Amino acid sequence: MQQSVDELIVELRQELIKQLNLEDMLPENFDENTPLFGEGLGLDSIDSLELVVLLDRNYGIKLKDPKEGRHVFYNIRTMAEYIHKNSPDQ
Amino acid sequence: MESARCYINGIGILSPQRTFVNTEFLEEVTNYNTNILTCITPDFKTYISPVQLRRLSRMLRIGMTAATICLKDAGIQVPDGIVTSTGYGFLDETEKFLKELLERKETQLTPTYFIQGTYNALAGLVALSVKCTGYNNTYVSKGFAFENALHDCMLRLLANNDLNLLLGSYDESAGVQYIAGLRERQFKKEPTNSLDIFKNKTVGCIQGEGSAFFDLSGQPSPSTWCSVEGLKLFYLPESAEELGEGISSFLKKHNISETDIDVVISGMSGDSSRDQVFEQLEKILFIQTPRVYFKHLCGEYCTATSFGMWLASSILKKQFVPEVVKASSTRFPDQIQTVLLINHYLNRNYSILLLKRYS
Amino acid sequence: MTQRVFITGFGVITSIGNNTAANFQSLVHQRCGFGELSILDTIHQSDIPSCEIKLHDEELKKMADVGAGIGYTRTALLGLIALREAIHSSGLTKKELQLSGLLSATTTGGIREFERHYYDLIDLSKEGSFAQYADTANPGEHCERLADEVGIKGYIGTISTACSSSANAIIEGAQLIRNGLLNVAICGGSEALSKFTINGFNSLMIVDSEHCRPFDNTRKGLNLGEGAAYIVLESEESVMRKSKTPIAELKGFGNANDAYHQTASSPEGTGALDAMKLALSSANVSPSDIDYINAHGTATENNDLSEGIGIQKLFGEKAPSFSSTKPYTGHTLAAAGSIEAVYCLLGLQHQMIWPNLNFQHQMPEVSIAPVRELKQQVRMKHLLSNSFGFGGNTSSLLLASV
Repeated sequence: MQQSVDELIVELRQELIKQLNLEDMLPENFDENTPLFGEGLGLDSIDSLELVVLLDRNYGIKLKDPKEGRHVFYNIRTMAEYIHKNSPDQ
Repeated sequence: MESARCYINGIGILSPQRTFVNTEFLEEVTNYNTNILTCITPDFKTYISPVQLRRLSRMLRIGMTAATICLKDAGIQVPDGIVTSTGYGFLDETEKFLKELLERKETQLTPTYFIQGTYNALAGLVALSVKCTGYNNTYVSKGFAFENALHDCMLRLLANNDLNLLLGSYDESAGVQYIAGLRERQFKKEPTNSLDIFKNKTVGCIQGEGSAFFDLSGQPSPSTWCSVEGLKLFYLPESAEELGEGISSFLKKHNISETDIDVVISGMSGDSSRDQVFEQLEKILFIQTPRVYFKHLCGEYCTATSFGMWLASSILKKQFVPEVVKASSTRFPDQIQTVLLINHYLNRNYSILLLKRYS
Repeated sequence: MTQRVFITGFGVITSIGNNTAANFQSLVHQRCGFGELSILDTIHQSDIPSCEIKLHDEELKKMADVGAGIGYTRTALLGLIALREAIHSSGLTKKELQLSGLLSATTTGGIREFERHYYDLIDLSKEGSFAQYADTANPGEHCERLADEVGIKGYIGTISTACSSSANAIIEGAQLIRNGLLNVAICGGSEALSKFTINGFNSLMIVDSEHCRPFDNTRKGLNLGEGAAYIVLESEESVMRKSKTPIAELKGFGNANDAYHQTASSPEGTGALDAMKLALSSANVSPSDIDYINAHGTATENNDLSEGIGIQKLFGEKAPSFSSTKPYTGHTLAAAGSIEAVYCLLGLQHQMIWPNLNFQHQMPEVSIAPVRELKQQVRMKHLLSNSFGFGGNTSSLLLASV
């Protein structure tokens, strides 16, 4: 069954908190528009690789070029939109 | 580095005892019944920022905390170099990556455990945290790892005694290593109370862990604990006599005799099959010298000498020997000026370290 | 009064040769070890081609002369083969070996055997020949084993600083000799391929499925490799006493830390620059005296950029000839420093500069470019060999002809 972007956002909040060990972050406080890298949440290149694997494991999307990640992982919303568009299960 | 003085100007240590508060000294002693000793830790958030914390494994948190406490104790923000040591590295993380690799048949693997498992991850982390661009090295020579690292620092300080070098150690009580140790008869099979390992000795040791950091410098400072006067390593000595001769010649180089040593701190391990050389040594040398043991408090691990060095430094600085470490009925002197630490790991790697009171 | 440190022997085994002579021939004839994996059992045999030594462990045991070789990991076997060649080439006696030091480096240790037998090893109810690997995964194990095998007792140390490991082992050996603590130190490292490393590096997405192209603008990452090398360092006093002609002098060295990121090097090349500068100043040699640099040159976007900028900052437009030999051997991780030091020594002996294979497109970020063709009849005096690793570790060795 196809997940909507909003449903994906809810799911991704929890997944990211788990995968990236964001111990002090609560899902309800995780703004889907906050930039994940740089000034926003301050994630780095290793986190980016973690997200590449998350896309593959959870949604079957293989990101071959890590550079694509810059746009896909801009924030939770862009991630949700990308998954909604590209997941083979969708 | 048989004869080369440097000063311990700061210490930070996490161990199976409550040792992370430098003003305390074994007032509270924890005993273990499972043969596996694990660190008593503070709230890491006090020492490590949340941004860093999330990326760190348990042992990296322990190591980073010990390093932070040490630097604060020494009043140093950025050391001139960092040298760490470990016998088995970050085994838990290594195992996590390996298990995922095997279970997922080498697909869809994340890099975090792989990176956290590298032996120099702690040295790199500390350097990154304080922006130390100086000398950086990590020794992984099993029972000589800490000694090699200390030796390296002493050598560098000989060349430049203005430096502040951060010397560190870490080893963890990892399940996978415990199993390996059982296979090799390195750890005890029957559960033993840690405080009883020297009474009715059985084969094997109890497994320990810890991380200790020392700020070393060629110059003393207001925070000096004691001085390190010399270090000597012995690999596979043939007998207690050979070791004894080596110790005697070491003392001679320092123009001191057996009777000048106020306290001997011994890394007796509690392993009946591997302590024989040390047991014989106790009959040949330092018969009248008050003796202290420490592995009933920290367990056995490759870099356990670092716990011994903390103990020696504490005894010299605080001029006090806690009851729980006393291993002989000989009266301890009121003034403790000179301490000799002797350690062995699995009856293969032997080391002696001479430390003196600084006043 | 510090002792000068000379090099009096070396030994090497890589995917391009089982000994020094074979490695030399491959370097000259541009034979690389890159290809599909056939010895290591991994699903990535075809999609992560690497520089594998095409010898099974049983063959390595024969070459290392260890009989049944119980408990010998592949890392230890490769190490012993190279170590024996180094000892033989230097003519050290059994008595000298007893007083010598062994400084060895590895990042994998016996992980290859550990991963092969993991499920059996962790199940205490199981017994079998796999149990010989119960305690061989740790890195220090191979060094003690090698020391015991050849009779070295003077000083034993194992170093692991990722890809700069064996360079640091050489530096530590040199330190011990300089300060008169040892007359002889045999230094180097060994690394066997494993599923652990292949998948670890693959998870970082820095591996190229094609033959790597260091410093090339289209480079996509590194190729992994395996191998071992040791060099024999001797004090000036020892060399003079024996009236020996050394091969070269280890004149200087530098060790620094980038302090930029856990796995990446700073884009300004700070760590690389610091290590090279320290090597030069410790030898009292100026940049214009350097004839060749064996670059770390892993062909990752990050390393080659950082190192290229570091080299250009230090040497300006007049950079000396430089090349990465990793297209030949792959990135041999901990062993890279010592293998590449041996290649520098071979270059010095035969007056050759090894080409940086697969280079075609200039990086826009720097104006310097590596040597593309084999250069012969090049008399060199001072050479630098760079090794940089995760954790920000950067090391540089300065070798000089005698």
